[in-house]
Amino acid sequence: MRRRLLDGVFSGWAAACAALGLALVVGVVGLVLVRAAPAVSLELVLAPSQGAGAEGGLRYQLLGTLVLAAMALAVCTPLATALALLQTTFLPPGAARALGVALACWNGLPSVALGIFGFALFTQELGWGKSWLAGGVVLGMLITPTAAGALAARIQAIPARLIESARGLGLTRSQVAWAVQLRLGARGLVAGLLLGLARAVGETAPILFTAAVFSGATLPRGIVESPILALPYHIFVLAQDLPSPEARERLWAAALLLLGVVACFAAIALRLRLGDREEGQHAG
Amino acid sequence: MARRPIDATQWTAFGLGGLAGAFFVGLVGLFVWQSLPVFRHEGLGYLTGTVWSFRHQRFGALPMIYGTLAVSGLALTLAAPVGLGAAIFTSEYLSPRWRLPVKGAIELLAGVPSVVYGLLGAVVLREVMVDVLAPFEPLSGDTLATAGVLLAVMILPTAVSLADDALSGVPKDLKRAARGLGLSHAQTIRAATLPIALPGIAAALVLALGRALGETIAIFLVIGRQDGQWPERLLSLAPLTGAGQTLTTKLGGAETHIAYRDPLHWAAIAGLVVILLALSVGISVLGSMLAKRGPR
Repeated sequence: MRRRLLDGVFSGWAAACAALGLALVVGVVGLVLVRAAPAVSLELVLAPSQGAGAEGGLRYQLLGTLVLAAMALAVCTPLATALALLQTTFLPPGAARALGVALACWNGLPSVALGIFGFALFTQELGWGKSWLAGGVVLGMLITPTAAGALAARIQAIPARLIESARGLGLTRSQVAWAVQLRLGARGLVAGLLLGLARAVGETAPILFTAAVFSGATLPRGIVESPILALPYHIFVLAQDLPSPEARERLWAAALLLLGVVACFAAIALRLRLGDREEGQHAG
Repeated sequence: MARRPIDATQWTAFGLGGLAGAFFVGLVGLFVWQSLPVFRHEGLGYLTGTVWSFRHQRFGALPMIYGTLAVSGLALTLAAPVGLGAAIFTSEYLSPRWRLPVKGAIELLAGVPSVVYGLLGAVVLREVMVDVLAPFEPLSGDTLATAGVLLAVMILPTAVSLADDALSGVPKDLKRAARGLGLSHAQTIRAATLPIALPGIAAALVLALGRALGETIAIFLVIGRQDGQWPERLLSLAPLTGAGQTLTTKLGGAETHIAYRDPLHWAAIAGLVVILLALSVGISVLGSMLAKRGPR
């Protein structure tokens, strides 16, 4: 009898915790949706903003966020590919393990530290001022361990016999890397990159001192003193000094738009990952 | 195996890897190097001083270290039992068909950008906290406790996801053996599954803590950013109901921008980054060590 009661309490607690987790998801997304609903329109995406976010849309904030994402992608792709190949293929086991720990530390770096590093290096020492390029590079650095980890995991899942038979055909280690590891790992890399981008587009701290301004910028025309608007920074500034009710709807709409961009990247990554799993089942 | 000469592909990979390594080492080295003046100026007082005033050239980081530990500690205290419970539910009570969708849904919380959490905190949670903390008569909803609660929600998915991985990794035959001894499902979880998964669960909580330590933007908007908040009694909970400052919220503020002109002031800012990096690297290394000790 006592045992039954204890078991019931235990499973009840576990279920309640999971229910709380799900309720938080519904609450967070639902709240943003409900508050943003009155301001949702096509104008929101197409028109440039006016009057400190009180009127108009979010055209350049959205474009700016996408420019930063593209730059981050350009920086991250070669680095992540190289690091994953080093970890899985080119380095001896001991060094590969050390690289793994280093990547875990890198992944745990607070994004504000990366942002301040970018500020000291690009904005000040190299004299770029606030520049979209500095922000993109910092964001690329931020997501490199995520993408490298995804590619490395995919490469490690490749059956050893494929690599061995390629080696047996007389291919060099590098030729095998291109023909087997990178060919079969490509989807993992793309999924990792998209997951990284889903994180990068929502980050504020790395672009705070390096790239973003609240108003007065459109698309980049150069590198030095070429700041950019971005959705997360727009929300961050307005959330510090909460505006009038109508403007607040637009602020929530900006949050919804940002969630939408994040969800797009994450959804494609998830699809690729699920596709991978099915492919693995067929192969196995 | 005969050593082949290193070809273009390997040169490129090692070159890019070296570049990434240089970036990583450069980041740590730059902050350590640039923080030296403040240690020369303040000595160990930099870590133990409670006054921070750049006009008077006094830099004591202790209140911010306290703020970081208090806020992350509160977040972990709130998130750990809920995260563990949810992970037990998804890994032990749900069928494989339901496990991934439910786990995935909770993981969605990790995808929400921190600035959106900040907005929710500033608009919704602050008001809730004013009511909850009413007996303590807080000056506003901007408190360390508000930041801790917000952070707890943000690190929950990390805790659930990694703890679920650890629990699911426990070999099935061990669970069957425990059931065969006549233990109920819940007893099996308590007597066999949880102890075996303990290193992995600890790693999950440590990594969740690491996420809390480094979070900036969300708590920036709800913590009040009040310098010099050093509690009279260290273990008292009262300071949590007041405004405060963490290492990250200090670094995210306008002072970082201003500080660059003055080497000593910048050194004080760089020193905060060094403390933050030391905490975060320590946590990451501890987390990977714990994760390695999990069941195979």
